[in-house]
Amino acid sequence: MAASNDGGDELGALTAENEIPVLPVQVITRPYMLQQIRGPGSPTVHNLELETMIVGRADDAEIRIGSTALSRRHMRLERYQGGYRALDLDSSNGVYLNEVRVFSAVLRDGDTLQLGNAVFLFHEGK
Amino acid sequence: MAFLVRFWGTRGSIPTPGRATYRYGGNTSCVEIRNGESLFICDGGTGLRELGVDLIKRSSAPISAHLLFSHMHWDHIQGFPFFAPAYRPQNRFCIYGTHPGDTRFHSLLSGQMRSAYFPVDFSELNAHVDATDLGPDGARDIEGVIVRCFEQKHPGLSYAYSLEKDGLKVVYATDNEIDLTLTDPTQPVREPNAPRLIPGKFIEFCRNADLLIADGQYTDAEYLKCTGWGHARATTVVDLAVQAGVRQVAIYHHDPMQSDRDVEAKIEVCRQRAARFGSPLFVFAAREGIELKVN
Repeated sequence: MAASNDGGDELGALTAENEIPVLPVQVITRPYMLQQIRGPGSPTVHNLELETMIVGRADDAEIRIGSTALSRRHMRLERYQGGYRALDLDSSNGVYLNEVRVFSAVLRDGDTLQLGNAVFLFHEGK
Repeated sequence: MAFLVRFWGTRGSIPTPGRATYRYGGNTSCVEIRNGESLFICDGGTGLRELGVDLIKRSSAPISAHLLFSHMHWDHIQGFPFFAPAYRPQNRFCIYGTHPGDTRFHSLLSGQMRSAYFPVDFSELNAHVDATDLGPDGARDIEGVIVRCFEQKHPGLSYAYSLEKDGLKVVYATDNEIDLTLTDPTQPVREPNAPRLIPGKFIEFCRNADLLIADGQYTDAEYLKCTGWGHARATTVVDLAVQAGVRQVAIYHHDPMQSDRDVEAKIEVCRQRAARFGSPLFVFAAREGIELKVN
């Protein structure tokens, strides 16, 4: 609050004694994450920082799962409306969102994704 | 060829944005059903606005779609004035009546855009928005997809639609108080766990659907306070699906008072009921933003 010259008498001038201390604010940010809780390689956490990522057993998959229960390119994660959505890439064993087989889905915090024998928890960033 | 079914609005009665409905969504009824290049849109609730935005993003090619409305209550039409593709001259939309010469839905949609309700008149829509109908038997071949309608129990009436092609069947049946059509409507209170006898004609309409999207707005307790409002117990939808041999049922048109947790509790009760009947039926909650491949 700035002290005003012309209204100073009514408002009272700020002095070292009555000035309200401002604490430094620490902004904590957390990336979007895919936490693998079951299956080969678990437990582990993948930070989601790219626009699109492939999950599968292919060597060039951004999130590689060493299991024949997954297709080489099983699922794509892509940025969508500020968050992420998942798309089944015509995988053999499908993508299950909270037990529902989906072709695509906008993901929400706490969603479970199952791909073959790998199970993930999706965490929204902030 | 597979049907792709995407939920754009799953809430009943009124939009319910906010944290409590974040997972299942707050937009009102709207489902996109695609079969190859054919696009069907079931209802035009507030979810239709986002579908319109998405359709424009997908491609610059002209958009052609078949609009099937269950009825004209607000929560099924409010998105139409905000459906951006309807403002572009290269696009074409067909609005289907349920019997020959039936243009009610087209005229009621245009009525909600009169100046007293909305600043842009229906006549100012640049797209071709045509009134047509499903024909004398309430059934029509639309781009190789057989579409049928079925009159439902709802104040002012509503219609269910089935879409069939290549041996696959999707049924959209919302705003239907099937509990009032039961052979014995008092039975669910006397014997809540006993199978409820659904009218045979509706069972046949839903027979062997690969996906049934059905109004299951209420829990059993909620229904007792809302009887006659035009919506079903979710548990009765389970009985319908089991008796019709449905493969999977999406409980739809969630009550606006239900939080995400409430919806999940409702679905759990439905799953337990299906399991008690020894049925392989898969029950899940319709959720905004999910897309299913029905094949």
